[in-house]
Amino acid sequence: MASQNDNKNLVCPFCSLHCDDVSVTTDNNQYKVNESNNVCAKKIDTYNLNNKSMLLPKKGAKVVSLSSALEDIRNIIKGHNETLIINHGVDLSGVRSMLNFASQKNYIIDHINSKFLYQNIGVVQRTGYMATSLTEAKNRADVVMVFGNQIFDKSPRLLEKVLGAKNSLYMKKKKELILIGDFSENIIKEIKKKCNVTNVKLDLDLTNDFLNATSLDSSEAVKGLKKSKLSNIKNIINKSKYLVAIWLASDFIKAKNPKKIISSISKYIVDRNILSRAACMPISGSLADATSSQALTWTTGFSSRIKHSEGTFKHDRNAFDSKHLIDNNNVDVVIHISTISPDKLKLNKNVKNIVLGHPNTTFTMAPDIFIPVGIPGIDYEGIMFRTDNVVSVALKSIRGIKLPTTQNILDKLA
Amino acid sequence: MITQLKSGNVYDPHNKIFNVKKDIFIEDGKIINKKDIKSKIDKVINCSDKIVMPGAIDLHTHIGGGKVNIARLMLEEFHNEIDPNYDSSSIIAPSTLKTGLKYIEMGYTTCFEPALLPINARQAHAEMSDIPFIDKGGYALLGNDDYFLSLLKNKSSQSTINDYVAFILKATQSIGIKVVNPGGINAFKFNQRALNVDEKSKYFNITPREIVEKLTKALYDLGVPHPLHVHCSNLGIPGNFFSTIETIKAANGLPIHLTHIQFQSYGNNGDRGFSSAAVEISNYLNKIDNLTCDVGQIMFGQTVTMSGDSMSQHRNHKHAHPKKWMCMDIECDAGCGVVPFKYQDKSFVNALQWAIGLEIFLLAEDPWKVFLTTDHPNGAPFTSYPHLIKLLMDKTFRNDILNQLPKGILEHTILHTLKREYTMDEISIMTRSAPAKILGLEKKGNFSNGSDADITVYNKNIKDIEEMFAHPSLVIKDGKIVVENGQIKEYIWGKTHTVKPEYDKSIEKDLSKFFDKYHTMKLDNYIISDDEMHRLVGSPIYVNNCSRKRKE
Repeated sequence: MASQNDNKNLVCPFCSLHCDDVSVTTDNNQYKVNESNNVCAKKIDTYNLNNKSMLLPKKGAKVVSLSSALEDIRNIIKGHNETLIINHGVDLSGVRSMLNFASQKNYIIDHINSKFLYQNIGVVQRTGYMATSLTEAKNRADVVMVFGNQIFDKSPRLLEKVLGAKNSLYMKKKKELILIGDFSENIIKEIKKKCNVTNVKLDLDLTNDFLNATSLDSSEAVKGLKKSKLSNIKNIINKSKYLVAIWLASDFIKAKNPKKIISSISKYIVDRNILSRAACMPISGSLADATSSQALTWTTGFSSRIKHSEGTFKHDRNAFDSKHLIDNNNVDVVIHISTISPDKLKLNKNVKNIVLGHPNTTFTMAPDIFIPVGIPGIDYEGIMFRTDNVVSVALKSIRGIKLPTTQNILDKLA
Repeated sequence: MITQLKSGNVYDPHNKIFNVKKDIFIEDGKIINKKDIKSKIDKVINCSDKIVMPGAIDLHTHIGGGKVNIARLMLEEFHNEIDPNYDSSSIIAPSTLKTGLKYIEMGYTTCFEPALLPINARQAHAEMSDIPFIDKGGYALLGNDDYFLSLLKNKSSQSTINDYVAFILKATQSIGIKVVNPGGINAFKFNQRALNVDEKSKYFNITPREIVEKLTKALYDLGVPHPLHVHCSNLGIPGNFFSTIETIKAANGLPIHLTHIQFQSYGNNGDRGFSSAAVEISNYLNKIDNLTCDVGQIMFGQTVTMSGDSMSQHRNHKHAHPKKWMCMDIECDAGCGVVPFKYQDKSFVNALQWAIGLEIFLLAEDPWKVFLTTDHPNGAPFTSYPHLIKLLMDKTFRNDILNQLPKGILEHTILHTLKREYTMDEISIMTRSAPAKILGLEKKGNFSNGSDADITVYNKNIKDIEEMFAHPSLVIKDGKIVVENGQIKEYIWGKTHTVKPEYDKSIEKDLSKFFDKYHTMKLDNYIISDDEMHRLVGSPIYVNNCSRKRKE
């Protein structure tokens, strides 16, 4: 039980960087980030409980006991044909219990960000791929190509901790950042405090053309890009000894061909390694995407979209797509598991909706059953995977609210 | 509850028992001497037509951690029964569940992941915790991490290096230390593409020899039972046996274990510039007491190579089959590379690799010094062990396969001249007692009073030795019957084996500063506590003894 004014380091569960150096104070079950300059402070504060937080289970609008809510869930599932579990973010223990639950009842599992996961892993499953991780990028990268424009919003401390970090083992100069896409002036201004910046306002569907044009022997032009700027970029890139390309797959959502953008970047990086060193470092989503894909992969061989059937997990990227299943009325019960983000959950009136969620969760419509569960890293200890998929962090429990964990609930239902 | 395995033909090499009619008694998951039994025997299992051995131990198998999961992800079509390319016979990168099932069905009860990246240790342990049945452990990778190389560059004392090594063992919950391509993975990050044993890396100005010297000494000083586990420089390169021998010499007479030595035993003679150096390597193995090895036998067929050796894996990526691969630089700690590969019996090189591995097995005089591995899945999936045992025990079977290989092979191998057939005694040593001994697992690989009741019972009436080893009639883990006549009887979960040598805690102060300055996580979060292993990762630990105390 956390006591008043108990200072602790938060291992932050709220974005895929999972920083472990955020000092917080807990007071009356509210936690407050101590560093006034911390760019995450405001963001993290929004996860605090408020007078609208739901700390008890609900059936529709009515508050019910936990045992009653569990019994209702059992009855709903029993009376319907096909159950889908959508993971909107939970720690490793939650994913493990989800797999155990699904394996006993032959359910389908999908993660809400699977489509972005598949865009990224496509290059690993089809071609060659060179990757790196946060600490390597911090210490070795001299040039970083950033594709998209939401990365710094979704990973607020990427600049402070990695790209513009004060200390580096091998980089004595500021990193050269080449921003490709449509970055806001405010972000560029912030980045310029820590890095040298070349801003390339570009339609991301032209990524392949742009990358081809940056090779030394290329004389190709890129639509909308001045020759002098291109020449400057060529110089920066070709002096690079360790170039890193980063992107956030969800940034490509409006592009005509997101897969082609990622393939182009990956091929470019692979080719650069013939003579120099370079690597990709995609940033994953903030809904414990990496935790889900890692645990599902080692347990089943598949990173998402699985169904337990005939004693084993089977995978079909299209048939087990949650949107497809719901839109085509192929499922009649959906269990949403959402422990990290309180953002509005989109529920569908054609199915029974069960939510195991963050106490602050809001919905497009009232779920049939809602059970508030603890937030990993705030209410209970757990493990989550960082964006680079190689580091996992041990989350702490920092406040004393006795909410059940996702694992508690699913184990009771299994 | 007491169980009696009655009148089995018992092999217990640790106690110098070979094929002796004997009873084995089990109480509360442990072996118990008959004279110490105080209550009635609850269950008697007739083993009169059975061979009874301790559970088998695999000391080198890639079963958990980032690179294993990359392989699973990359090769999705090898798991997916819906996929038209699905091959049900292939389990080259099995899920944790399949890994446990396949191992226990073959009577393997303890397995070790040999390339546990310290920064990735939490994941590796979490994965392995989800492997049912077996006990497990890992060897932490050192020798390419920037902190260790900085210690060497700054001429830090051996005592400081010992403290760092001991800290890593504790922080990562490991049982041993492995070095992969010493210094080479780090050099690759600086765009160096090769690093020979006495070649200095461009940035750190350190040779692989220095790295091996310091690490072998550290493990010796700390009394860690398992010697430095070495994946040598120049893996897979013709002529690499010279650097293999130089690496052995780098240990300066201290214990050293060379892993998947088949890949390190290549000459460059002949019209194809590729030849066997198994004789040269075996001569060393036979004459030097401080050297042990596992073979890393290859088998023909599809597999996936996975290694921390990003330098060599990047070099090999053009041989990928299917045509996909991945390499990664990891956290100023290590690297990895995953390249699927198909060994083909029509290929001169692959056929000779197959022969070289068998030559090493058959030329090794002491089965306590050579271990049966395929470097799963690099040489072949671990499920090929029964086939490998048959190759070693049956020269006719072996020569029949050899004669089907490309004709030129016979001019480049002495395999057809080797008449040796491994005995059951030798197989029991190299798959049970010898790995237990070299890992310091006092309670494994033997039937001494108080040892873990991990037992494999084979039906000796099965004439085909491959079939016998593939399908034991009974497997007991921690005293529980988990496999009976090929059927899983009960799911149980094993523990993680570690060592915790003493060290001066002041090393953590310096490390903490290093982490705060250069890493992207804090040292506190890097360390995996015993409690975390049990409650969050999912596996209790068992701490094995070290033979020495830290010197002040």
